[in-house]
Amino acid sequence: MGDGLTLAAVLPPDGAASVEALGPVEALVAVTALNQAHTAGGVVDTVAAGLARGFAGRKAAVLFVDGGSQDGTFEGVSQRPVDGGAVPVASARVAGRPGRGRAVLAALAAARHVGARAASVVDAGLVSLAPESVEILLAPALGGDADYVSPVYDRALTDGTLTTNLLGPLVRALFGKRLQEVLGGCAGVSAALLDTLPPAEEWDDEPTGQGAEMRLLGQALTRQHAVVEVHLGRKQLDPGVAPTDLAHTLVDAVGPLFRLMERDPGTWQDVRGSVPVPRRGHAGSMAPPAGDVRPDRMVRAFHLGLKDLLPLWEQALSDETLGQLYPLGLLGPDDFRFPPPLWARVVVDFAVAHHERRLPRDHLLRALTPLYLGRIAAFVLETQAGSSPGGADALERVGSAFEAEKSVLSARWR
Amino acid sequence: MQQEWSDIVLDAIRDVGHRLLVVTPRLLAALTLILLGWAVAALVRRVALRIMSAADLDARCVRWGLSGALGRSGHRLSPTELVGRLVYWAIFLVGLLMAVEALEMPGTRGAVGTLLAFLPHVIVAVLVVVGGWMLAQFLAQGVLIAAVNAQVAGASLLAAAVRWLVLTVAAAVALTELGVAREMVLLVFGIAFGGAVLALSLAFGLGARELARQALESYLNRAREDRGQPVSHV
Repeated sequence: MGDGLTLAAVLPPDGAASVEALGPVEALVAVTALNQAHTAGGVVDTVAAGLARGFAGRKAAVLFVDGGSQDGTFEGVSQRPVDGGAVPVASARVAGRPGRGRAVLAALAAARHVGARAASVVDAGLVSLAPESVEILLAPALGGDADYVSPVYDRALTDGTLTTNLLGPLVRALFGKRLQEVLGGCAGVSAALLDTLPPAEEWDDEPTGQGAEMRLLGQALTRQHAVVEVHLGRKQLDPGVAPTDLAHTLVDAVGPLFRLMERDPGTWQDVRGSVPVPRRGHAGSMAPPAGDVRPDRMVRAFHLGLKDLLPLWEQALSDETLGQLYPLGLLGPDDFRFPPPLWARVVVDFAVAHHERRLPRDHLLRALTPLYLGRIAAFVLETQAGSSPGGADALERVGSAFEAEKSVLSARWR
Repeated sequence: MQQEWSDIVLDAIRDVGHRLLVVTPRLLAALTLILLGWAVAALVRRVALRIMSAADLDARCVRWGLSGALGRSGHRLSPTELVGRLVYWAIFLVGLLMAVEALEMPGTRGAVGTLLAFLPHVIVAVLVVVGGWMLAQFLAQGVLIAAVNAQVAGASLLAAAVRWLVLTVAAAVALTELGVAREMVLLVFGIAFGGAVLALSLAFGLGARELARQALESYLNRAREDRGQPVSHV
């Protein structure tokens, strides 16, 4: 084993000893948690049941990694009575500053340490995970068909709007891969991908939030690893007691993607166009119905932002973008629109402003909130009026708009 | 009579000559010190500019958000140029003070020493004001964004209040450091700040009780609506 991501660098001695005790493992599923006491135990049981069912007679294990929970998550899982199942379950807890990203990092290092041919990292809040999904997630990497396995869910149009309107289209434009999920709550990885991961000290800027998952995805996409998507049914992710306000979500999810762009611009600047990622399994017969979303509050949030945050937006957005935003302030909730090309330009402007540090980064990402809400209001109105199944047309328009902005982004990135 | 007249004239000339002999070296020394101060100031400025350019200070200030803050306050100079000018004028001022001291003019004896002894207080006061100003900008921006995202009406007013509160505290600390009517500054600040808080409390508690109730109700209703919105983001 080369240098790369090592266990000793990410887990304290007792945690590393728990991993060592597992011995060599062919397939490892790590459940990572931070303050998710009420769901972690159930997800660990599901994963253990899935491995017992799909990997009978083969060496598989579950590793529970806690990112420093304060609500008794670690104690609740590690001190539970073991039901004597065929699959060993180990527990470890990262030391120092709490962070879910550090738990993910420890899980990846552990998978590499035990020599797993395939591993999966699962969020302890992914309560919709079924036992059979465990095998589905691991199979492509075990079979040597893929190095990164991304989930696909049956989701309503009003689910995952940050993914469908920002993260997904931006990843598509940057790396040329059309993924449904960017931060899907779980992922499968191969030993080959684990071996290319950088050492722990290079992950220092991603200790919290979803940075580690984004970095893992970035590693797969920029190093040209084989990526597949697998259907996992419906998604239900319980965030636990983590803060759930929208501005925080933007900082947590968009920030890592902007940082990924900064890390190695050479890997994405010349990419043009995009291709679909090979997909396995079948979507459910019926997508969940979209909820009854009222865009009026989102439009009001946009108007308030346009009134009060304009001095900040002026520092992030180009004059041309601002010129196209002003007329949107005159539109009411019924006829509100925020065309995908304008939205793509807004995101590109923010990415460049983030790169050039025109504002404190946390402030900049939080200042994106009213613009995002405006875009989602328009998206809801578009899809309510549209006729394509699942709003496919609307989603494609967003993806294409981001791809069209790619040359502008590459040219402005210094 | 003629002898007396010539004595007076000669005495006057001798006196002026003597005074000139005393003053001229001092004038020359003062001029030399001014020229030296100018030369050293120009040299140090040039060296400082080169060091700052090599360290890419302007780009760093853009990344740290200082350039934007300077621009917003109306400064058109780049951070490198600004620091260069400050260094230049600080050294030139020391040269000027030394020149004044060299002239040994009545009332200026010990002025340089007094001013130099006061310099640390001035530097601390300037740092307090600059730091306070930066903190005020940062906090006001944070409050503005948070208030807008919470859809609070009058977010700009709230941000301005935070900005001026921090600036007022910084100014009070700086004036205290300079020893300018120390007790009076503390007293005025205490009275003004306490008075403002009391006035706001009374206004909100008595005059705008109904408004406060409505604002809280509206906030709670919005939170309930948000929880009811079937939108998940990631």
